[in-house]
Amino acid sequence: MSDSILVIKDVWKTYEIGDERIEALQAINLDIEKGSFISIIGHSGSGKTTLLSVIGGLTEPTQGSVSLDGADVWKLNDAGLSALRNEKLGFIFQFSSLIPTLRAIDNVALPYIFQKRNNTDIYGRAEKILSILGLSKKLNSFPSELSGGQQRRVAIARAFINRPSIILADEPTGDLDAQSESEVMEFFSEINEKEKTTFLLVTHNMELAGMTDRIYRMKDGILTNGG
Amino acid sequence: MKIYHIALKEVSKRKIRTIYTSFGIAIAVSMLISVMITASSGQREVFQVIARYGHSLSIVPVDTQTQQSLKSFGIGTGTYIPEASLPEIERVYQSAIIAGWEKMGALIFQEGTIGGAAFPPPTFAPRLYEETTVKGKDVVAGGVVLDKELIARFWWDVAEGRFMEHEGEVVIGRLFAVGTETKLGDTVDIGRNKMRVVGILRETDSPDDYMVFMPIKTLQTLFNKQGKISMINVRAMCPKCPVGEAAVEINKKILGVRATSQMEIATAQSQIFQKTAALLVSFVVAALIISSIGVFNIILGSIHSRLRDIGLLKTMGASKGQLIRLFLYEALFIGITGGVIGFVIGSGLSYVVGPILFKDIVIKISPKFFAIALLLGTITTIAASIYPATYASKIRVAEAFKSL
Ligand SMILES: Nc1ncnc2c1ncn2[C@@H]1O[C@H](COP(=O)(O)OP(=O)(O)OP(=O)(O)O)[C@@H](O)[C@H]1O
Ligand SMILES: [Mg+2]
Repeated sequence: MSDSILVIKDVWKTYEIGDERIEALQAINLDIEKGSFISIIGHSGSGKTTLLSVIGGLTEPTQGSVSLDGADVWKLNDAGLSALRNEKLGFIFQFSSLIPTLRAIDNVALPYIFQKRNNTDIYGRAEKILSILGLSKKLNSFPSELSGGQQRRVAIARAFINRPSIILADEPTGDLDAQSESEVMEFFSEINEKEKTTFLLVTHNMELAGMTDRIYRMKDGILTNGG
Repeated sequence: MKIYHIALKEVSKRKIRTIYTSFGIAIAVSMLISVMITASSGQREVFQVIARYGHSLSIVPVDTQTQQSLKSFGIGTGTYIPEASLPEIERVYQSAIIAGWEKMGALIFQEGTIGGAAFPPPTFAPRLYEETTVKGKDVVAGGVVLDKELIARFWWDVAEGRFMEHEGEVVIGRLFAVGTETKLGDTVDIGRNKMRVVGILRETDSPDDYMVFMPIKTLQTLFNKQGKISMINVRAMCPKCPVGEAAVEINKKILGVRATSQMEIATAQSQIFQKTAALLVSFVVAALIISSIGVFNIILGSIHSRLRDIGLLKTMGASKGQLIRLFLYEALFIGITGGVIGFVIGSGLSYVVGPILFKDIVIKISPKFFAIALLLGTITTIAASIYPATYASKIRVAEAFKSL
């Protein structure tokens, strides 16, 4: 398919700890169209985070290939991988992921600093995204001065700063209240529609999954279609 | 915001760690700076002395019959140079100096001027030595022309009292004072005269310490040695004057005397300065190496404690080069802090160390030392950070996140 943004072919990931072998991913095949909004559900330990890591160039698969916007992720050299992460990918982690010594707005602007062609002032954009996410009054706060939910929203804002083509969101609304959660989802849909940004959303929340174009289910490292 | 901003924030937000790390560097830098300030201040003084006084010659009678007891002092009594030959000696000296300059290619326009610049005339300080007994002890009495003596032996100074001003006054060496139990204000019998001690010389580590000094005229009269002198000390008053050639000329042209160019005290002193400084510097360089190992450990430790941050920066697309830059910037800021602190402590320390090493030192702190401190601080810290920074840049994201 010509407008595929993500093609995963026969990806396996095996962790070996001592004698134990954990098949975190087994024979994953996936083809995702540009601009689609996909959700992945599954029990804890089923391999969801592992899948996102393999896609994002963070965890090398034991076998198989990942092609992102035409680039074979696991054949890129270090510089290529850095550029890919910087320009094409937006990560939202399951865990708290802010740099503690930087203010909220600096944390959001951070990926832009690593751009090779960085020249414009990014702070206007950073401020705008933070405002949409309800943090206009917290621009200059340090992470330690923010609540868990606020920190999470700063991390979300950061994922969008470089206008990535694909967002890998690992339970992004895990510690948000219902109101903030729906605000974030609204923001996601808007970006998805306006900028044709592709979303891969890992969630436990069936209601959220129901709002997406398509639901995949992960079970013991095996990905199945449907929800 | 740029990469160095991230580094600056990291360094300024983690104050304890920054100060802790900079302090390691600051200690070594401060030691080095204090040694350098002390050495350069000391040396400056020595060179000022050389510049002001130049080299020296000593002129003695050829057939000096030294007595056993005085031999070790290098002081001859019993043979003399006629005082009347002084003008001739001066004349030979001066023309030898000028001939020497001409040989070196200098332009002599008029007497007392070399290449258009005036130089002060040399000082000829005559001395007469006579053996005598004071309080039953054999000593040597020295007759001097005080104003010339103070130039020729510029290190001369009184530790107590003053130099002689009136007839009947003497100045004694420190060891003379101890050996004969003589105090300031005491009267001593010299020959048939009673003389009052008005000053005690500061120790010179030379035979002067065992002697009693009075004006040369007084001594000549006292011992019936009118018109006689035992030696002449010539101070060139010009650091580059060819004094060695003047000595050769005097020996050739004036019968009955032998001129020797003295080992230059200032040069000797300056060599001691340099040796002491070199020794201290090598200690301090060792300290600097040790402290950079400390910094290396601290930075490596700090990188380990920030694995998660490093992983995050990588997921945002930070390249190896950018991460190395980030850590080296941090090192730079820590190094600057360490350099500044080190400079402040080191300058203060030089006021303590200087006087201990070299008495009468005048500490002068030039901006050069601030630059050296900054350079040392930053170079050492950056050098100690290269490996940790490279190591950090190579950490794989998956590994960095394992620490979560
Ligand atoms: N670095 C690792 N080393 C060894 N085993 C790992 C590692 N990372 C994950 N695993 C294992 O791989 C399996 C999948 O883990 P993963 O984190 O992908 O689960 P998940 O679906 O994201 O779970 P959760 O919903 O709790 O976040 C688990 O059994 C886990 O223990
Ligand atoms: Mg997970």
